[in-house]
Amino acid sequence: MIAVYFKGLMHTFPLFLKGLWVTILVSGVSLLAGTLLGVICGILRTVKKWGISKIMGFYADYMRGVPFLVHIFIIYFILPEVGIQLDPFPAATIALTIYAGAYISEIVAAGILSVPKGQWEAATAYGLNPFQRLRYVIFPQAIRVILPPLVGEYVLLVKDSSIVSVIGLTDVTRVGWLTVQRIPEGLMVFGLVGILYFVVCYPMIHLSHYLEEKVSYESH
Amino acid sequence: MIIFKNVNKWFGSLHVLKDINLHIHPGEVVVVCGPSGSGKSTLIRCINQLEPIQKGEIYVDGIQVNKRSTNLTKIRSEIGFVFQQFNLYPHLTVLENVVLSPIKVKKVPRKEAEENALRLLERVGIPDKANDYPSQLSGGQCQRVAIARGLAMNPKVMLFDEPTSALDPEMIKEVLDVMVELAQEGMTMIVVTHEMGFARQVADRVFFMDEGQIVESNTPDEFFDHPEHERTKEFLSKIITHN
Ligand SMILES: Nc1ncnc2c1ncn2[C@@H]1O[C@H](COP(=O)(O)OP(=O)(O)O)[C@@H](O)[C@H]1O
Ligand SMILES: [Mg+2]
Repeated sequence: MIAVYFKGLMHTFPLFLKGLWVTILVSGVSLLAGTLLGVICGILRTVKKWGISKIMGFYADYMRGVPFLVHIFIIYFILPEVGIQLDPFPAATIALTIYAGAYISEIVAAGILSVPKGQWEAATAYGLNPFQRLRYVIFPQAIRVILPPLVGEYVLLVKDSSIVSVIGLTDVTRVGWLTVQRIPEGLMVFGLVGILYFVVCYPMIHLSHYLEEKVSYESH
Repeated sequence: MIIFKNVNKWFGSLHVLKDINLHIHPGEVVVVCGPSGSGKSTLIRCINQLEPIQKGEIYVDGIQVNKRSTNLTKIRSEIGFVFQQFNLYPHLTVLENVVLSPIKVKKVPRKEAEENALRLLERVGIPDKANDYPSQLSGGQCQRVAIARGLAMNPKVMLFDEPTSALDPEMIKEVLDVMVELAQEGMTMIVVTHEMGFARQVADRVFFMDEGQIVESNTPDEFFDHPEHERTKEFLSKIITHN
């Protein structure tokens, strides 16, 4: 029996690869957009003016305080009530982007704040404008603090993307659900799903460890 | 060159500068001393608007700096500032530290900026450190790089905030020597320091600050030998026994 199931599973393997591609696509796009959003919000988080920092803080707290599943329901099932109807892919991408963006903004803000005040003062005293201060003085120093947890966040993003299967996006997790209805061997089917996630995440985990070591080694 | 008119500054409810009036002429060297917390750093940080002021006017070379319409970037690029803790950029080499603002702010071509930087490093006595990182340098060398970084902007005035206070004693002289030379070449300088030898050698005037006011202002010889105010005398007796 097992052998038959296994053969069947191998037969559906191309579907799994397609699902994996959807997973990579949805998390890849969200990763890029979320990083952009997170960097902007992270910088704004450090602006001590006009309550901007508070607003950004609330955004981050809200995203952290509400489960991702609920976010995606809001975007996919509740927004249509007010006339905003999105397909599963854009809905999933938007949900993942604003979710990851919140966490990334925290990481970026912490990195920026880790740079000593004297660096800001020197850059200011030497005539650099606010953008140049960030670009040439603050960011190159903050990036060492930012990178390891950022890559860690990317791993979480890939894994969290499995939740988007609930709105019908055929990612690798959903391929697993569909397959297990024909091949009732859960361990085998989801074992394969797990392996596929692992293949994507494992190199990233290593990269994160590597960056962590590199940073602590270099800071003397 | 630098004019303060009734300058007042508060940190919250703390009144740190009280009705400061002063006038510093081109080529003048002024030493500012006084007890810790008296407002010396704040005084010079107001000049390039690292600290905003709440009342009064500050002019640098005829331009009012505490006005919304003023191009602060331009003013700042004409003022060299040397910090107690150097504040060199640790991720950049010595040469890159010196050329960053000339290239990015003053739009000097890189080649020209680097040639100028090498000349300045030679002038402060560390021509061979151009490609080192600040973490590879001693404190005295760092502070000399910081001075070169200031000079690279071709500034009209150099401000120093206790430039030797963070240094090991054996490194103080190498930094002061550079500053003395600078003063003798005619640079306009405001120096917060308790180095009395430096003050006597090159200062035109010495200010004594206490509780946010300039209590006494005099030539160095008069200031050190015949202080007028009780508080000045008290302060001087303390730093003399310390030195
Ligand atoms: N950023 C700040 N916020 C609040 N108070 C400050 C700040 N900087 C300085 N002060 C206070 O202002 C006073 C003057 O400080 P400062 O100008 O640094 O004195 P000095 O350089 O003479 O030691 C001190 O009482 C100090 O505690
Ligand atoms: Mg001070």
